[in-house]
Amino acid sequence: MYQYTEFDRLFVRRRAEQYRDQLTRNLAGKLSDDEFRPLRLQNGWYVQRHAPMLRIAVPYGEISSNQLRALGRIAREFDRGYGHFTTRQNLQFNWIPLDRSADVMEALAAVDMHGIQTSGNCIRNITSDAFAGIAPDEVIDPRPYIEILRQWSTLHPEFAFLPRKFKIAVTGATEDRAAIAWHDIGLHLLKNEQGEIGFRVLAGGGMGRTPVIATVMSEFVPWQQVLLFVEAIVRVYNRYGRRDNLYKARIKILVKAEGQKFVDSVHAEFADILERDAGGREHIIPQAEFDRVAASFVLPDGVAPTAEESPPLTDVEPAYARWLQRNVHGHRLSGYRAVTLSLKRPGQAPGDATADQMDGAAALADRYSHGELRVTHDQNLVLPWVRQRDLHALWLAARDASFATPNIGLLTDMIACPGGDFCALANARSIPIAAALTERFADLDELYDIGDIDLHISGCINSCGHHHSGHIGILGVDKDGAEWYQITLGGSDGSTLSGHAIPGKVIGPSFAADEVPDVIEAVVDTYRDRRAANEHFIDTVKRVGLEPFKASANGVRRSTATAHAA
Amino acid sequence: MQFIDNRRNPWHTLGGEDGPVVGIQPTPYLLLDLAQWHAFRAQWPADTPVGVTLANDIDVEELEGDLPRLSLIALQFPKWVDGRAYSQARLLRARFGFKGEIRATGEVLVDMLPLLQRTGFDAVVLRPDQSLEAARRALAFFPAHYQGSIDDRQPLFAKPPGTAEDLVRKSVPEFVSAGEGI
Repeated sequence: MYQYTEFDRLFVRRRAEQYRDQLTRNLAGKLSDDEFRPLRLQNGWYVQRHAPMLRIAVPYGEISSNQLRALGRIAREFDRGYGHFTTRQNLQFNWIPLDRSADVMEALAAVDMHGIQTSGNCIRNITSDAFAGIAPDEVIDPRPYIEILRQWSTLHPEFAFLPRKFKIAVTGATEDRAAIAWHDIGLHLLKNEQGEIGFRVLAGGGMGRTPVIATVMSEFVPWQQVLLFVEAIVRVYNRYGRRDNLYKARIKILVKAEGQKFVDSVHAEFADILERDAGGREHIIPQAEFDRVAASFVLPDGVAPTAEESPPLTDVEPAYARWLQRNVHGHRLSGYRAVTLSLKRPGQAPGDATADQMDGAAALADRYSHGELRVTHDQNLVLPWVRQRDLHALWLAARDASFATPNIGLLTDMIACPGGDFCALANARSIPIAAALTERFADLDELYDIGDIDLHISGCINSCGHHHSGHIGILGVDKDGAEWYQITLGGSDGSTLSGHAIPGKVIGPSFAADEVPDVIEAVVDTYRDRRAANEHFIDTVKRVGLEPFKASANGVRRSTATAHAA
Repeated sequence: MQFIDNRRNPWHTLGGEDGPVVGIQPTPYLLLDLAQWHAFRAQWPADTPVGVTLANDIDVEELEGDLPRLSLIALQFPKWVDGRAYSQARLLRARFGFKGEIRATGEVLVDMLPLLQRTGFDAVVLRPDQSLEAARRALAFFPAHYQGSIDDRQPLFAKPPGTAEDLVRKSVPEFVSAGEGI
């Protein structure tokens, strides 16, 4: 993973100092709460229901065991002993008092971490494929490019106060595991016919009230020019994005409203940067800089391809076999595997980890994965460098540490935002719904029979739980102060399993909270009745349409039955 | 960065009554709005310093041909979190080579100063309640930045080898915790 230079270290320390200066002025009454707000947001401090939430950047999901232990210490010393991994590969704390926030920033800086641009109307922490650098289907390792983009976007002076937040996702694999079409900018690294490396660039995707799939801006931007092309997009957005209405301020609205004119503006801006601007070409990435950054992303010491072991033919414990099937993934190096540590288990909210669990995961990473982990878009952890021959020992250790639930990709491996239990924006709670579904689908045989399915829960239309892209989406809505849930089917994040990115469709009026587990069960049962041989849930939904699912979902209404009969 | 004290500032607007201005006597250091400038630019004497205030939704491209005649462009922050003027300033400098003063006006807070300095502003009218001391401190936190900017065109990666290391060596350790005594 990327190794901080002394300059990088100095930079985050100075950022912590700058933040302390701002906090001190705020606490002294010299900087009003209103004016402090955008400043703290750009350091990850977002005031929530109970306390400020701190969102810590985990750039493209890569984290060391040492950093994870530091997060565990922060959880113990400053929070209530746990944190929450998010779909954007970050970590959130929920209970840290604001007057201790500068101390936390210093503690983070000590392990090369920060909360820079994890909130606010700026270019956010950049996300990627959790299997970047190790996936068998990877064409180009995106990490050096993302690191260069990360540095370029860090404290970019022109783009700190955009109309709205701005999210970039990058992938370098054949399969899109980063949901790039759902982002403000999606970058797909590829090789053109001449074998040159560049980016297919999308822009204008987003969730929220108006789900929009991103539009292609360019089929190929040479990698050396990618900072300039991104600069062009963000500048057009900064100048012309709407600022009169918070709900129409994302770039997706501008791209949708202007269509081809937006694409043309971006290309004109890009040409101007290249051809007219003083210093415009300075941000063309030199090979030497690429090489300097890429040197951090070599194989860890001692990692080299080894012979694949043939699987044992007999005596594999069924539980281990299941874990191998669901939680162990192919690797570009023979003799190696990537292993998911599931953060989806009964008794804990999806993506949550206690301080002890953070320590436990760090210890597993040290023992089995060269001290490196990844945070996934699906809110789990991945060990990227596991020897095939260590799998059984890792499974035993992961089981003892409560990370071995063999449910990756299955219904209980659901994405969920923190919801109304923590979030001030939420209309409804997500965690009790997730808990009820985890309980309802606790039977592993049943779960395996249902098979691959993306279930995503958002506590409000801001869509942090990505309900739009779930095969089953659950959206919390507020009606007369009560919690209701709208169910959508057929959404896709753009993965191979799910097909082209598309928002799911609503299957009828909202359901009451206590109806949701029955509705999901009814929907799943309909799939099991209707499916063709080996057909995934998402494919059955696409083939048979929404009607049979609507009918079965309506069939289990209780409290909402009378209301909707009228 | 020049901190403008409005009491000693020679630049002034036409002021007075609302409505269309029928005639303007060209006098030095007059700061016009865009409509006024458009109305009188044909007659404006070349040796009389003149400035224009631009709203932040105006395309700076509109002024391109007039830039050599302008001594000052005042850009506006109606709300400090509205970042359009940063792009205007950057374009005026990098694309159109504007050499005159670019002044930040409106809701200008000390925490904006690093952004203003790096996008091409060279003068600010701070909101009256802002502290000059905090403003100067705000400009001194970082030894350098990753990306190039108007005041330092080369991104860190384009600078000569060893630059980042030198910056680290020269950084003043006493700076740490300087803000605590505020």
